[in-house]
Amino acid sequence: MTLTDPREALADQSNFIGYLLGLAGLARVVHTLAADGGRRSGPPPDSDDFVHVLLGLASLGEAIERLANSALAQRDPTDEARALAAPTTRWLR
Amino acid sequence: MSPEALIGMLAELERIRELTLDLIERETPRLLPAPLDDACGAERTVFDLLLGARRAVLGNPAAARGLHDLLVTEGRRYANTADGARLRDALVASEAVENLRRVWETVSLNVLDGPAAPNTVPDAWADLLADAVIGHGLDDSILARLRPEGFA
Repeated sequence: MTLTDPREALADQSNFIGYLLGLAGLARVVHTLAADGGRRSGPPPDSDDFVHVLLGLASLGEAIERLANSALAQRDPTDEARALAAPTTRWLR
Repeated sequence: MSPEALIGMLAELERIRELTLDLIERETPRLLPAPLDDACGAERTVFDLLLGARRAVLGNPAAARGLHDLLVTEGRRYANTADGARLRDALVASEAVENLRRVWETVSLNVLDGPAAPNTVPDAWADLLADAVIGHGLDDSILARLRPEGFA
């Protein structure tokens, strides 16, 4: 592929939903780690960059789940029929 | 120079970067350990996953550091919320997180920590590769005798 000879329908190969699912899955792993029964001995240390990376993943996952839930809640059954009738224009075409 | 030529040059630079990294990996077998011969399916999968993570970090230090900083910033923001603070306290107290931290430090060799100018490779990455390449094949017990006290 070159700039003067673009491939058509590149967006159809996009795995964007897969990225979002992967992040949401990682966020759930973070929650599982936090709920782990084993507690470390001694006083807990201050949170450092490693813990903040985990928190960042959890936050992104929460935002993705919020996005999915609000989309489900707002879903209008006529939207699906409309989408089938007139597919939306995708980026990267 | 036309935009097409500039993009071609970027693609070529990327190819040279990949080849240089391949060369460094070959010169530093300690950074690329061979898998165990008797590793079973699950062990081999985990080994490949960890090695892939190490390659991703060592091969793309500036991008990895950028992603790391982005997640840390978001994590700090989340920790300021009530839900985030609760999760932070649970993570800090968790033994599983401590185990995961050991795994991560072993895989990444801590190259993403420490100082780094914006959009550049972290200093620790350059230090690690310099140590791994320059130190290869040197007998440190002999060098230690020649090194004046206080020198790194």
